[in-house]
Amino acid sequence: MAGRNTGFQPISSGATNLLFVAPAMILFGLFVLWPLGSSVYYAFTSWSGYTKPEWVGLDNFRRAIFHDPVHIASYLHVTLYILGTLVLEVSFGLVMAVVLNSDRAGFSIMRGMFFSPMVLSMTAAGVLWAFVLDYRLGLLNSVLRGVGLDDWAQPWLSQPATALIAIMFVSGWRFSGFYMVIFFAALRRIPRSIYEAATLDGATPIKQFFTITLPLLRQQMLTCVLLAVTGGFAGFDLFFTMTNGGPFDATQVPATWIIRQGFDNNQLGYATAMTVILAVVVLIVAVVYLRVTERGNHVRY
Amino acid sequence: MSATDRRSGTEWLQLTLGGAIVCAMFYPAVWMVLSAFKTNREIFKHPFALPADWKWSNFAEAWDKGGLGGMYLNSLIVTAAAVTLTVCLATAAAFAFSRLEFPGRRWLYRLLLVGLLLPPPVVAIPLFAILRDLGLLNTLTALILAGTAWSLSLTIFILQGYFNSIRPDMEEAAMLEGANIWQIFRDISVPMVWPSMLTLAIVNTISIWNELMFALLFTVDDDKRTLPVGLIRFFGRYSTDYAMVFAALTITTLPILALYFLLQRHVIAGLSATAID
Repeated sequence: MAGRNTGFQPISSGATNLLFVAPAMILFGLFVLWPLGSSVYYAFTSWSGYTKPEWVGLDNFRRAIFHDPVHIASYLHVTLYILGTLVLEVSFGLVMAVVLNSDRAGFSIMRGMFFSPMVLSMTAAGVLWAFVLDYRLGLLNSVLRGVGLDDWAQPWLSQPATALIAIMFVSGWRFSGFYMVIFFAALRRIPRSIYEAATLDGATPIKQFFTITLPLLRQQMLTCVLLAVTGGFAGFDLFFTMTNGGPFDATQVPATWIIRQGFDNNQLGYATAMTVILAVVVLIVAVVYLRVTERGNHVRY
Repeated sequence: MSATDRRSGTEWLQLTLGGAIVCAMFYPAVWMVLSAFKTNREIFKHPFALPADWKWSNFAEAWDKGGLGGMYLNSLIVTAAAVTLTVCLATAAAFAFSRLEFPGRRWLYRLLLVGLLLPPPVVAIPLFAILRDLGLLNTLTALILAGTAWSLSLTIFILQGYFNSIRPDMEEAAMLEGANIWQIFRDISVPMVWPSMLTLAIVNTISIWNELMFALLFTVDDDKRTLPVGLIRFFGRYSTDYAMVFAALTITTLPILALYFLLQRHVIAGLSATAID
């Protein structure tokens, strides 16, 4: 996706030009590439962080893949979470972009409000929603009791059956504005005359959405799905704030389990092996996704 | 925009449906602010009502007990330093990748792209060890440097896109006039991409201000905490004192929300620019 120009014509060449990239590359090398490289070594060791790492071969990987049911379950949870976000973030964002696409007074404010959760920290969002979903005084249960649906009131975050779903909804609340904005920008570039012609031909708004809007937003859809999937695998903040993997590991995702094993249980070698697995999984998913969708057009308006 | 003056049925549907959803989604924020002024008993008994008696003292209590002032200061220091570093270093690097030839240009750029796909949890543990060896653990410097390093990839990538979209005519002309590279960079290229630099400063401010994982793992002492970590600790310690947690939440989120509504256009433009390419 690198938008690089083909006709690269430098205004100058020579090794001294390296000075312009050196500060950035040194920081990047020291705090991104070096840890990345050394994680490949630590992954094959037993290491508590205080002792010297001790080479154990493939033991960590064997344990992560065959003897750690929570680790395997964390990938199931994160997959469900990603599927949930595709509906509650990407699809919902798309629908809202269409709904809020108007020049009438008030719509700009509504778009602004819809987007506003994006600027809050995940911790603030998480703590706020922990209260909204609280069993005793939570907003959601108050609403349910208020309309006479007392039986529907649930301890949303503290029972395994609902905790993951609750987090998906909070994630949708936080991120759907982001996808709305991306789709909205693209919607604006579709010429209005197409819709006017379709209306004259008698096409309903619903039909126009599926025959005109969706096909023209294909490129944005692909980008958004990629962002949702790669971002979803790395999800940490919301899970850590709201449930920290609980109740009974029902919301344990790879990132929270890695941090738990590494820093709470002092098994840094084992945790590093799991990060290597996570990196490989994310890279494979991203590459496969890009390969599969690459056949599509690269049309820009 | 030639729309008829009368609102059509579709437009009314858009307005009511959009309005209802937006209000429902925004309501938790309103509820948070109102609850921050109530007593614990009131929050429980009258969750939807306005506070019977606006208790401003909740805020003072949260501010003092939570040490919110210190955390605000830490967050400000880390964010200001990291954002400035990121945007300056990234502009220089993006300029070089777009305008200059030097040994290793292509593979340095490819290395940088690695950072676009990698989620931070992947290197959290070795990074912890490196920071400890450098004696930077439990310092704000660690957060600044790690935060900067992790923001560079995306910032350079986007700025380079901006540079590529502008033809280098001006720079070439200055070159012929005998200006050196540094002068060209400072006097021609930077003013050219200045608006984009500001946009990226906003985007990076949001992400670094909200950063949780590094702050959680790399700082220990209370007086080194940034707001996101501090808020979790605060919630953990006072989770039954609802009014105070709501007050702390309000103190930490309302300024950000206010700033956002002030700069809305730039924030939205910036955050969507990070995704379009």
